[in-house]
Amino acid sequence: MLIMGEVRTGLLQNSAEIEERDHQAVLGLLAGERVRMSRRPIVYAVSPDLLTGVDCRLPSASRARIRGVGTVVSRSSITGGRVLQGSSYVRVTRGEVNYRLPWSHYLARPGVVEVLGKVSGPDVADGFLAFGAPGEHLDLGSVSDRFMDVVQESPVLDLRAPFRSNRTRLRWVAETGEPGVHFTLGEGQERTLKVTHQGEFSPAVVDLCEDLALHDWLLTTLLTIVQRARIGGASRPEVSARLAPAVDTLLHLWMPGARIHPSLAALWESLERTPGFSRQWQSLVERIRDQLAVNTLALLRETNG
Amino acid sequence: MTSFSEVTAERQIKSGPLSHVSVELGHLYMEDFQAGPDRLRRQFAAVAPWLETVRRSWQSRTPGGRARISTCFLIDDYFSRFSTPSELVPMILTAAAENDLVIDYLARESACAEADGVKLAKLVEDRLVPDPPPGTRGWRPPTHETGWLANGTRSPVAGSGQAMKTAVRWEAPTQNAKRGHSIFVDVELWNDDSRGRTWSCPFLAAVWQLLRLGLLRNEGQLPVQPVAVDGGFPTSWDNLPPVVKLNSSATPFSAYTTLSVLSTRFLQVELAVRTILSQVSVDEEVLKQVLSRSSDEDLRLEEELVDRISYVFL
Amino acid sequence: MLVFAISDKGGTGRSVTSSNIVYRRALQGQDVCYLDFDFGSPTVGAIFRVSTASRGTTKGGMHRYLEGEIPEPTRIDVWTESDRDAIRAKPAGAGQMVLLPGDEGGGEFATFDGEMLKRCVRLFAGLHEQFDLIMVDLSAGRSFAAHLALAATAQLPRIPARWLVFHRWTRQHIIAANGLVRGDHGLLDVGVEHGHDRDALIDRIRFVRTAVLELGSGDFAHLRPAQRSWLNEIDRELRELATRHGVGLTTMLGKVPLDPVLQWREQLISDDDVAGTEIANPETVFAFDDLAKKIVDDTAWEGL
Ligand SMILES: Nc1ncnc2c1ncn2[C@@H]1O[C@H](COP(=O)(O)OP(=O)(O)OP(=O)(O)O)[C@@H](O)[C@H]1O
Ligand SMILES: [Mg+2]
Repeated sequence: MLIMGEVRTGLLQNSAEIEERDHQAVLGLLAGERVRMSRRPIVYAVSPDLLTGVDCRLPSASRARIRGVGTVVSRSSITGGRVLQGSSYVRVTRGEVNYRLPWSHYLARPGVVEVLGKVSGPDVADGFLAFGAPGEHLDLGSVSDRFMDVVQESPVLDLRAPFRSNRTRLRWVAETGEPGVHFTLGEGQERTLKVTHQGEFSPAVVDLCEDLALHDWLLTTLLTIVQRARIGGASRPEVSARLAPAVDTLLHLWMPGARIHPSLAALWESLERTPGFSRQWQSLVERIRDQLAVNTLALLRETNG
Repeated sequence: MTSFSEVTAERQIKSGPLSHVSVELGHLYMEDFQAGPDRLRRQFAAVAPWLETVRRSWQSRTPGGRARISTCFLIDDYFSRFSTPSELVPMILTAAAENDLVIDYLARESACAEADGVKLAKLVEDRLVPDPPPGTRGWRPPTHETGWLANGTRSPVAGSGQAMKTAVRWEAPTQNAKRGHSIFVDVELWNDDSRGRTWSCPFLAAVWQLLRLGLLRNEGQLPVQPVAVDGGFPTSWDNLPPVVKLNSSATPFSAYTTLSVLSTRFLQVELAVRTILSQVSVDEEVLKQVLSRSSDEDLRLEEELVDRISYVFL
Repeated sequence: MLVFAISDKGGTGRSVTSSNIVYRRALQGQDVCYLDFDFGSPTVGAIFRVSTASRGTTKGGMHRYLEGEIPEPTRIDVWTESDRDAIRAKPAGAGQMVLLPGDEGGGEFATFDGEMLKRCVRLFAGLHEQFDLIMVDLSAGRSFAAHLALAATAQLPRIPARWLVFHRWTRQHIIAANGLVRGDHGLLDVGVEHGHDRDALIDRIRFVRTAVLELGSGDFAHLRPAQRSWLNEIDRELRELATRHGVGLTTMLGKVPLDPVLQWREQLISDDDVAGTEIANPETVFAFDDLAKKIVDDTAWEGL
């Protein structure tokens, strides 16, 4: 009926990129399951799927009291040994009965939240995308956060990240229909995404949302670093020093659509037209490169003086 | 997925052979052993007719009456160690034979904690998805981290709380899926001390059920393969394979369903086992394999795990 | 970095000084946050002049978070939500400044359990991801807040943590400050109980003197010679006392002079208060600025 999820994205708390061999220790959240990894075009590793039981009210634009019971699917992933994501989603369906069944019933349907009683999909979707007060309803973002936290707690990490950064929150809903995407940048760290795709829902849609969240985070983080560098306001060496972590850590991570299923590639492309992620990224990168080049030149001139 | 074609570990899940039913003929604890061989003989005498009933019922359900029924017997070597395999196993086999029972497989309880280097109990622990009390929105860390697992909401704990606030009042615990009244169950899964972790008897028994249902995998592989023992039983439990195949013509150890014939003193343990099992999320791929195998045989399996487990209490 | 602000006695200037340190650090371009762990009196919003949190927040603050009722405590962006124009004008290059208030009507905790400790650890670790400086204002004296902080930092050995013990320049305060650190069930005792190394913990504790009268300053010009020499004598005694109690110059991170504005009102001292309206003293801001630098300056924290 309705599929909705939230991806949280942040910086892995380590001074350097983590090594390929460390991914198993960091993302191995389930005994007996290996972390899946792909190396091209960028190292990407993802934990096994994990379930969390919930029994609570679902968000609703009309403030209807909707009770849902079931499980949330979550996973953690690391891109480029640097960027950490926690991602959770549920499939909301109408339950067959109006009372709560034994738990084994829900466990037999992983990732499904059954509504006890009447429910309207669009109402829940709109309520979800509105980012209501935290803690009142099903809180997919906090579940994702928890799966980031367990990774950050890993003893493998030294907790000396090259810079401070915020976690972004991207909420998405997916439904079947004429293919399209609609991305909005909300207040602070909040973003929403509406995806319509052809045919049945598949986890490839989740990959798309995670990839978009990743690139939105890269862009947001780079923008903050550039703003805070006070180009033109601070001294040249100061500006260079403030831009350095961005250059070392982030610039090579931009690979939009790298892990997207071909059937969804068109959706990424439409996002490249509006809002035009890569365009903005490119212009930021050029600005940084120019700045560093100018600063280096100035430095050379001074030393040759 | 294009990019995952080069993924190091595209998941490969092994599937194993399955009987129709795995019948557990008994559990042997220290106190049974101390009670002497007569107790065992009496137990087997009581079990025999039930096994016969099971056999007949499955024969009538399978084409050509070719029911695959395997029997097993569990010895505790985890909570207390007594006697030796070379002394004990022949005694058990004799007592069974006197009642025309064939024990196909013999297992050590400690195998449910760890077998052949695989920490089975840990595999199951990580797959626990606790039954959420109403109001669970997903952000609290799972409650079973404390080593306890319940089927509902516990009574609130008095004691903490802020100064000058109304004190916490006692409230009854409730079962999540209650119909009218509650039967609240809270199971201790393990306890930790300086010597490490000790898994509880119900937790190991839950692992035992999952093993018999063939639902556990370690990195896609089937853990614990039954092994035949040649040339007599060893004098130390550690040298006995976790699961021993005693009967060379036995049908597979694991099965679509299980039946345990147990003394009524195990009733509480088994209630705890079911409480645990109803909160274990088995790998979807493994469940699918089992389902497709069974439907190939025109067999309808119960959807929920706990419904594939049955008992006879004597 | 985690910085814990503590004092044995109430009303020492702990909140006002640590708030101003946070403000200075933000102006220096760092991302900072301020946590109200003074559970019995969650009023830190007042210093930042955030009227929605002057007596704590109603939207779910530190109390409810630690009790496990909400997934995360409310955050207030001081730059946008302060009622003071001088604060709302965020200078270019300044860092984030976020307040995490307590709950309105929240009280001191009677105890804490393992779950609360886990939540506290998780909170600190999460904030460390985002902020350069996490200032935690603890209740005065031996409190559950301090106990919780010691237990939590013991579980976060990879996150640098420092302790500022605030005290006034009086006999009673000097003795009390020392007692809070080294006395029975003091910071060191409790820290060790939770797995801290005693010597390592000592190295992370520094003292800050508040509302100090500088004898050389013009404030004393009107004093009679007899009064002046009496004050000098007292000051000398206090210095001796401080050294004997391990609260002397070597363990002092800095001192804040008595400021007329702060004496009348708990507030952040903006540059405008000094250069514009001239109501506050430049020495006060200088002291805050200096402290803001020293708390992260490793040379000020070398082992003694
Ligand atoms: N440098 C200073 N000069 C003059 N007055 C000061 C100075 N620092 C703080 N004060 C004043 O001292 C009083 C106590 O300060 P503050 O509230 O910060 O103390 P506190 O230690 O946090 O107290 P509590 O234990 O009640 O929380 C306030 O009125 C404050 O304005
Ligand atoms: Mg205070």
